[in-house]
Amino acid sequence: MSNIIFDRVARHFRRNGVDLAAVDGVSFEVRKSEFVAIVGPSGCGKTTCLRMAAGLDFPTAGSVTVGGKPVTGPGPDRSVVFQQFALFPWKTVVENIDFGLRAARLPLTERRERVGRYVDLMGLKGHESAFPHQLSGGMQQRVAIARSYVLDPDVLLMDEPFGSLDAQTRVVMQEELIKLARVSPRTVLFITHAVEEAVYLADRVVVMTRRPGRIGEIIDVAKVRMDEHWDRHERVEDVMDEASFVHLRTHIWRLLREQQSRNEQ
Amino acid sequence: MRNGWREPSRLAVGGSTLAAVVVLWYLATTFTQIIPPVYFPTPAEVLQAFRQITVQGYADGQLQQHFLHSCWLVLMGFAAAVGLGVPLGMLMGWSRRAEALINPVFLLLRPIPPLAWIPLAIVWLGLGDAAKVLVIWFAAFVPAVINSYAGVRSIEPYLIEAARSLGIRGAMLVREVLFPGALPLIFTGLRLSLQACWTTLVAAELIGAIVGLGHVLYQAGLDLFPAMIVVGMIGVAIAGGLMTTALGRLEAWSMPWHRR
Repeated sequence: MSNIIFDRVARHFRRNGVDLAAVDGVSFEVRKSEFVAIVGPSGCGKTTCLRMAAGLDFPTAGSVTVGGKPVTGPGPDRSVVFQQFALFPWKTVVENIDFGLRAARLPLTERRERVGRYVDLMGLKGHESAFPHQLSGGMQQRVAIARSYVLDPDVLLMDEPFGSLDAQTRVVMQEELIKLARVSPRTVLFITHAVEEAVYLADRVVVMTRRPGRIGEIIDVAKVRMDEHWDRHERVEDVMDEASFVHLRTHIWRLLREQQSRNEQ
Repeated sequence: MRNGWREPSRLAVGGSTLAAVVVLWYLATTFTQIIPPVYFPTPAEVLQAFRQITVQGYADGQLQQHFLHSCWLVLMGFAAAVGLGVPLGMLMGWSRRAEALINPVFLLLRPIPPLAWIPLAIVWLGLGDAAKVLVIWFAAFVPAVINSYAGVRSIEPYLIEAARSLGIRGAMLVREVLFPGALPLIFTGLRLSLQACWTTLVAAELIGAIVGLGHVLYQAGLDLFPAMIVVGMIGVAIAGGLMTTALGRLEAWSMPWHRR
C-alpha cells in the first residue's frame, strides 16, 4: 500500500484569457491505509485534487506523489470510482469487474477467483451477466466499487461516488463501504460535499475553502471514533446520533458556513 | 385487448395498407382510368412485364441477373467504404493530429455530391463495374467517416478516463472501449451510407451499364414502357429494403446492450 502526498500543489486554468486558480497551496498527506475525505463547496477544487492523484490532471506548481513517486499518468495502481459510475454499457457486470484484471494479464483462474470474491462481497450474486442499464444506481455503483477493489490497488480514489444515489441507497452503500474497508483496508481519498458522509467514513476530514481551493482545517475523526466507540454501532443513524458525531459535524458545518458568508461579503 | 379483440400485429396492419394501395391503384387505372395507361401502367401490365423480364429477360438479362448484379456492386462499394471509412473516422475522432491533417481534405470533398463523380469515374474506368464501385464507394465513404468520427467523440470522457485508470491501452482500448462506444453512431452512418449507395448506383447505371436495375430503368425509358419502369423501381425498392433490414438485424445483434 502507498501514501499520497500533496506538496504545495497549485492548479491554474486559463479560461477566456483569464487565469483562474482552482487549487492553491494545498499540502496534506493521506497515510498508508488511511481513509481521508475532502469536503468543500462545489468549485473548491476537491475533484481537481483527486484527478491530480489519479493522473488525469496535473499540477501547475508543487507535486503530487503516490508511494514516493510523482504521478505521471493514470494507472491501475490508483483506482478511481467516479460519480457517474463510468461502467462500460456494453460489458456485463462480470466483464466490467474483470476488465482491469484482463489488462493486467492475470491468469484466468486467479481472475475468476478474485471477481467471484468481489461479486460476493458487494452483493452482486445473481446479476453477473446483467448489463449496467438493467441495474439500479446503487447496484451500478457496487459494480464500480468492485471493479476498483478487485485490482488490489495501492490507493483508491473516490470522487463523490454516492453523489447521485437516493438517500436510502446512499446510507446502505456507506455501511457497505465501511464493512469493505474493515475486510480489506486501503489508502482512500474520498471526495464528497456531504459532511455527515465524510465524518462517518473518514479517519480524517480535510475541509477546503472556495476559490481558490485551499485547506481550511484538517479534522481528526479517527481519534473521536476510537474514544467514543462508534464502531459498536452497526447502523449509520446510530453513529450519527452520538453527541460526539453531532459535535464534529456541526463544527465542520460552521467552517463551511463561515466561508460562505465571507464569500458573500 | 379490450372486448376480447386482440391488438392487430404490425405485420397485419402493414399488409392491409399495402393491399389497400394495390386496390386503389387498380381502381384508379384499370377500373376508372382516372390515370391514363400512357402515364402509369395497370397492375395487370406490371405483372405482364414482370413475367416478361423473369422468363424471357429484358435489357440484356433476366430480372434475377439485374437484381443480383446491382446488389453485388452496392455490397462491394459499401464494404470498401465501411472498411476504410470507419477506421479513418475513428482515428480522426481519437487523435487531434489526425483530424487536423485529414479534415481539410474532407471539407473540400464533402460538398461535392457523389453523383458529380460519375463522369470522372467513367473517364477513368469506363462503363464497367469498376467505375460504379468507385462512385458507390465514394458516396458511402463520407457518411461512414463522419459518423465514426462523431461516434468516438460522443463517448463520455469519464469512460475513457475510467479505461485508462484500469490500465486499458492500445488495441484493447480500441476494440473494447472506443469501437463499442462509437458503434451506435457508426450504425447511423452505415444506414446513411447504404441509402447513398443505392441512389448512386441507380444514377450510375442510368448513365451507362450492361446489366443492372438502373439499366432496366434506362432501357424501359427509351422503349416508352411504363410497366417495365415500375418493375425496375420495385426491384430497386426490394433490394434496398432487404439490405437495410439486414443492416438493422446486424445492428441489433451486435449491440445487445443498446436500449431503444
